[in-house]
Amino acid sequence: MSQSPWARIGMRNLGRHPKRTLLTAMGLAVGFFASVVLVGWSQGLVNQMVENSTSLLGGQLEIHDAEFLPERSLYDTIGGRDGVDLDQLLTRATSDVRVVAAAPRVYAGGLVSSGNSTVAGMLMGVDPEREVALSRFLDVLTAGRLPRPGQNELVVGTEMARQLETEIGGELVVVAPAADGSMGNDLFTLVGTYRTGLGEIDSAFAVLPVEDLQALVVLSAGRVHEIAVSTQDPWVAEEVALAVTTAVDGDVLEAEVVPWTELNPALVEYARLASSMYGVILVIVFGLAMFGVANTMLMATYERRREFAVMLAVGTTPWGVVLSVLYEALALGLFALVLGVVMTAPVMIWWHNAPPDLTGLVGEIEMMGSVVSLTMQVEYDVNFAVMTAAALLATAVVAAFYPAVRASRVPPADILSGL
Amino acid sequence: MTGCMGCARQTVGLVAVSMTTLVPPSYAQVDPYEIMDRVDQLYRGESSHGTSTMEVVTENWDRQMTMELWSLGNDFSLVRIQAPAREAGTATLKADRDIYNYLPKVDRTIKIPASMMGGSWMGSHFTNDDLVQESRLVDDYNIDLSFDGDRDGTVVWEFTLIPKAEAAVVWGRIEYEVRQADYMPLGVRYYDEDGELARTMEFSDFVTLGGRTVPRLMMMRPADKPGEHTSMRYEDLEFDVEDLDESFFSLRTLQRRR
Repeated sequence: MSQSPWARIGMRNLGRHPKRTLLTAMGLAVGFFASVVLVGWSQGLVNQMVENSTSLLGGQLEIHDAEFLPERSLYDTIGGRDGVDLDQLLTRATSDVRVVAAAPRVYAGGLVSSGNSTVAGMLMGVDPEREVALSRFLDVLTAGRLPRPGQNELVVGTEMARQLETEIGGELVVVAPAADGSMGNDLFTLVGTYRTGLGEIDSAFAVLPVEDLQALVVLSAGRVHEIAVSTQDPWVAEEVALAVTTAVDGDVLEAEVVPWTELNPALVEYARLASSMYGVILVIVFGLAMFGVANTMLMATYERRREFAVMLAVGTTPWGVVLSVLYEALALGLFALVLGVVMTAPVMIWWHNAPPDLTGLVGEIEMMGSVVSLTMQVEYDVNFAVMTAAALLATAVVAAFYPAVRASRVPPADILSGL
Repeated sequence: MTGCMGCARQTVGLVAVSMTTLVPPSYAQVDPYEIMDRVDQLYRGESSHGTSTMEVVTENWDRQMTMELWSLGNDFSLVRIQAPAREAGTATLKADRDIYNYLPKVDRTIKIPASMMGGSWMGSHFTNDDLVQESRLVDDYNIDLSFDGDRDGTVVWEFTLIPKAEAAVVWGRIEYEVRQADYMPLGVRYYDEDGELARTMEFSDFVTLGGRTVPRLMMMRPADKPGEHTSMRYEDLEFDVEDLDESFFSLRTLQRRR
């Protein structure tokens, strides 16, 4: 470019009207900033939704009996009626380095009653120590503590506690159909409450140690419905599922390893929909910017029509005139890109590491089965930033094309004679 | 199991009707509401006491229970399990629209909320709702005569019951088959709101208990689990029980273990 006379002419012309050049470049730079930050924020929201949805209650993977989903029958435990060697299965499930934690789960539908209040809910048997490493909903209890095995203690959501009109230390009657056909029932003590912000969880799940629930519904120690597995990154769940399948296959009859992308396809589709909108954002942002650049270049080429007439008169080809204008536009684009990066990078770094929290303004938002806190958390997307830069440069050049062609068609004789 | 007791009362009502009208009315004379209403009226105000055996057969287990039952009209009933030993003393009380379960193991009583009315009663294929809604067919459904003729060698009526718009019922449609000769119920088919058959109930073994002809055996079969069923067989039954009034159907009585 530095060797081309048209490039030198183009770049020199940027300095003719510095203010105009700066304003025009700022228009493109703001477009760059808006696109990269908007998309980064959108990706941050999607990642937050995925993270919350997959780590709040479940894990990024679930190991089940092949018949367990979708009915979630009490009888469809991993390994069938004989159950499994739970320690061995957990060890194999955590053998992949990308796995953070794994925990057993037992589920049973039942009633929880306190005084005159009775609530239908899902009894969830967990290993409290493993569970806090896997999921988040028990990380910070709103009151009390985690239940201890063998003590007939349990934890419920704040909404269930409210419906039961009970508090910490209260007696609860738990009734559930047992695996032998009898009606399992026992007294429990409420020792803690949790809150996820999702009404369907806070009102439905009563959590107790897995051994206690197994005793209540007459399941042997090796019979569990699910091994929940968490991974470092939700988006590697499918790969890890394949690896875990290989690790457990052959030891467990008819078990399947299901990543969250299969359990919550709606969330996957939403992420895809959001991604598909990024290109539209680029088109809109730079489509608008194009008119500003085109207007500026038209003015600039009109002012320089005498110069172009001289160039044409001394033998410059029309294509040479076009190139000079296009190089000017490209230089403008590069200048705008530098401005855009200077504006965008600090904001992206700031909002990625310490995003402003707008939760106080709008509260928590429940969406797609997860609770989203409205923060300005942004995610880096180098590919998209490169695309945006290319779109910026393309906008500058394309916007200048018409003015360039017009400039190449000025009648030299008329212009130079003052007409 | 007031629903099952209700069937017995319906049977009694139908028998009483047949005694006053020796020749069953012709098709043109059949008034479904009158028939069902007569059953309801004959059913109300009566009391009963009996014992029964329930057998539940599922894919995963089988069990038998013997129970003692009391009922007063359509609004009060008490069922207490006598056997097996581990569940003896477990009881269910229906008082008006409320249902309570007593659990002897923990010596506690819980109230079954309205949302659980569709839930299984003691693991069987009968629901809690069966205990509450059976007597309200005339109030909650539009009833039409949909068949009058011979089926498998028996002359029957079939009534189709469609829920009224304001009715809080769980079924989209019920088809009720009644034997014309003696007004005995033969079977009921329950359809969900999508029109899919959900379950069927069959009546059989017509005997005289407590001086009345009743179907001794009732069999409930879920449509989605062909190998499963719950049967209810009356061992003995008496009607118009003396000194049985509303005060008997109390939480105190519920919590008595025998």
